[in-house]
Amino acid sequence: MAPFRVSPWIPALFLAPALAGLLVFRLGPILIALVGGFTGTTLRGETTFVGMRNYADLAADPSFWSSVKVTLLFNLLVNPFQICCAMGLALLVLRPTRGVALFRAAYLLPMTVSIALTSVIWTILLEPSVGPVNGVLRALGLPPQPFFRSEDQSLATLILVCTWKGAGYWMIFLLAGLLAIPRELHEAAAIDGAGAWQRFVRITLPLMRRPLAFVLVADTAINFLLFAPVYVITHGGPAGSTALLMFEAYQAAFALLNHGRSLAISTVILAIIAVIAVLELRLFRAAHERAG
Amino acid sequence: MIAGPSGRLALGALRYAAMAAIAALLLLPIWWILVSAIRPGGEIFRYASDVGWRTLVPERLTLEHFRTMLAGDMPRAVLNSAIVSLSTVVVGTMVNAAAGFAFAVFDFPLKRTLFAFVLLTFMMPFESIVIPLYTLIRTLDWTNTYAALIVPDLANGLVVFLFRQFFLGIPREIYEAARVDGASWWTIFLRLTMPLSGPTIATAALMQFIHQWDAFFWPLVAASTPELVVVQVAIARNITLEQANWGGLFASASTAILLAMIPFLLLQRYFIRTVTASADK
Repeated sequence: MAPFRVSPWIPALFLAPALAGLLVFRLGPILIALVGGFTGTTLRGETTFVGMRNYADLAADPSFWSSVKVTLLFNLLVNPFQICCAMGLALLVLRPTRGVALFRAAYLLPMTVSIALTSVIWTILLEPSVGPVNGVLRALGLPPQPFFRSEDQSLATLILVCTWKGAGYWMIFLLAGLLAIPRELHEAAAIDGAGAWQRFVRITLPLMRRPLAFVLVADTAINFLLFAPVYVITHGGPAGSTALLMFEAYQAAFALLNHGRSLAISTVILAIIAVIAVLELRLFRAAHERAG
Repeated sequence: MIAGPSGRLALGALRYAAMAAIAALLLLPIWWILVSAIRPGGEIFRYASDVGWRTLVPERLTLEHFRTMLAGDMPRAVLNSAIVSLSTVVVGTMVNAAAGFAFAVFDFPLKRTLFAFVLLTFMMPFESIVIPLYTLIRTLDWTNTYAALIVPDLANGLVVFLFRQFFLGIPREIYEAARVDGASWWTIFLRLTMPLSGPTIATAALMQFIHQWDAFFWPLVAASTPELVVVQVAIARNITLEQANWGGLFASASTAILLAMIPFLLLQRYFIRTVTASADK
């Protein structure tokens, strides 16, 4: 539609509430983080400019680096794992035979459980002494596991819990991509003698590049900002094995009452998210140029 | 390739077995929480260690845990979550639709720049700004108010974008006719454009509702007094405070699960169809 030329105050009035909200409550906090990262609080509660000190403190702090390492490790593991699970599910429910719609809906149900509630539920289920998961392991003759109570298992357990909630959600986006692949391509390849695996690698995967890239970027943005399970279940432990960056920023602000430090960590997080956003914008643009 | 009808039948049976096993893996945890909420307190963990059919099927039913829950902070939390989510949806839909309308219908200076700014804001997830947003809210003296929970979540770049995309498809002639009849742009927006936008309004409302209803980090930080506690914060707090009262925790967790799941079960058909249909275009 060709837009109307009107006096500028008309669009200004329509835009004002939303733009004011975005400026104050989205752009505002970003600026606060950028500026606040250079400030500190004196013993008398005054805010002072401290230059790079917060960042220097972070750089010299082994617990910060350990948190960065845990966050990167967590993301390097959880995102590919969730996407593989989601892809597996999507392939499994691709052919719309009898009852498949029911399974698609069933796989989506964990998505409706909020992340805070997911954390509460799995704290109970994985309770080492009385929880039902160890009950099942014992009934199968397997040794009970410590899960979140063990330094070696806590991160892996966190990944499994996040996948329980997320796999079905990402499945839907990949299923949409798979349904868009023309059947004829597979049929023609099958006639030429290509096996199922060959067809998956040569036809499905290349055509799924865009949905896979979208899911990867969107999933990474969510997992980089993961907070609730760390707060509810592990408090970063045992021995810092689940201390994700978002929880570090929270701890700095509300346990250590060090606002400069928490805003400096927030700036680091925002920088990472900005990189992810640039990737997202590229994908978005590519998708639109293709559509329009 | 497995050829022949018997091979294909075996493969089909295997597929259904795999689908059922995964469904069990994903849903039995939820089921166990739900049945634990309606069985006597002494039996909740008894059959978690002594695994058998009783683990999943309660023999005796009781509502005692729900009575415990009603005496606690859950009723207040559900009310607060409802107030916060519904006001966000009502005000947010209007605010974002108006902005989407301006971007779709008018030509004005800085349009491209402002639109790029809107796109940029929805690529910075809300959770990434929680800590500095808290600094801002504290400066405004808004901590522990409904405003702190509602106002920052009203303007939403993605929702503005959704409305703009939909409004672009409304033919110019409709607006021209209304203008000739002397209608103001505000009247056109409220009486003409919005009534045509049912599905977009529903999608936008659902998105903003879910974001508010599921929010945990922000309410925990911004407003966590007993008077303002929301469902997510109340439940997360119960697990650390109420270890002695497992029954109440199961009842409140079940309530929260069902409150989110029932609307989804009613709407899932449309949700799956919307996502999968967008691929066919």
